Amino acid sequence: MDDRFIEVPGSRDVREVLQTDPLFRVLGLRLGSPWVLGAAIALLVVLILIFGPSSDSRFIYTDF
Amino acid sequence: MRFVGTYLRALLTAAAILFVIDFGVRAAFPILPRLGDNFSAAYLRRAIAPAAIDGRTVFMGDSALWGYKLAPAQAAVTLLRDRGMPAVNLSYEGGSTPNTYALLKLIFAAGAKPRAVVFNVNSKEFNAADSAYQTLYPAVEQLAWPLFDARDRALLAHKQSDGLDARIDRSLGRFWALYGLRVDVREQLFGSVDAATALANLQHRLSGEAQREADAHRPTPDRFLGTYDLEPLDESNVGVAFLERTLDLLRERHVPAYAILTPTNHALLHDYIDVPEYRRNLSYLAAIAARRGARVLDYDRAFAPAEFIDNDHLTAGGNAKLATMLRRDVRTGP
Repeated sequence: MDDRFIEVPGSRDVREVLQTDPLFRVLGLRLGSPWVLGAAIALLVVLILIFGPSSDSRFIYTDF
Repeated sequence: MRFVGTYLRALLTAAAILFVIDFGVRAAFPILPRLGDNFSAAYLRRAIAPAAIDGRTVFMGDSALWGYKLAPAQAAVTLLRDRGMPAVNLSYEGGSTPNTYALLKLIFAAGAKPRAVVFNVNSKEFNAADSAYQTLYPAVEQLAWPLFDARDRALLAHKQSDGLDARIDRSLGRFWALYGLRVDVREQLFGSVDAATALANLQHRLSGEAQREADAHRPTPDRFLGTYDLEPLDESNVGVAFLERTLDLLRERHVPAYAILTPTNHALLHDYIDVPEYRRNLSYLAAIAARRGARVLDYDRAFAPAEFIDNDHLTAGGNAKLATMLRRDVRTGP
């Protein structure tokens, strides 16, 4: 028997969970809206700038 | 069409959020007690602005003055500030007289007016084999290169790329603060150039490898073979040429100048530098400074071997003594 698609009673997919999230509801947002997408893009850019690898390297100082 | 509209609105939302964040970064990113291990051109622009410099005594030079291997609070210039001297530490690892000159050009181009300028003259940096002999720190080169004339440029190694990506990078860094200051933000957050390096360093420390390396790197005289070039100095030396230009610029701007002959560990370097040639070169440099109106602070032999970490970097105690000597020797009054 193929058990990969067993449906767990009462389970909800992530989309449903997010869209019923109190914050989403209070802000009147829905997943896939331009506002949510825009915030996700901005967050991604900030995370890349903070956690990304550095190309600025000090290259002239040498320890003794 | 609806699809395009959604993405356009999403991009505008992202831009608006990034703009607000950028406003916060501009307002909140502090002026640090000294330049970071890796500082950006965007940070340097803030550090040399008139608001940060005017009426203060500016210290410039290399890692010896920066406070190598010490916390910012232990560096001599920070201690001077704590004792009431309005002082700014613009020295950095990789400093040299061409770097000092470049920084000074930037300060004056920004319209800043330092009360006095104190810089160190380190004889090892007049050696053509030294990494800072004719190379500028990347952020300094980026900002100062356009200010140089052909005569200056001919003596320096131009490391900055002029390719399209470099130009885009520089342009973005000018108007987008978070982008321009990203290396400085990372340095403040992680204490390292980026998060990955910080993690690698942590692992290095926890494994005990860092300590083993430190033990293996204890400064012994053989490590400094070739560090000091004792050939007689003259005006063909790049370091000498920029020392003269630095002093000329300060005199032209009527800014009091102090040239520190860098404290040097003669016990460690005895075999290399306790010879007449070393003293002759040092006297030559001191004479250039004195002739051009600078006050020379000869600290070459002013410190005991126990006050050094290595050849020219002082311990915390050494920095405290240096601060006391500078407080005594540098006039900050009108």
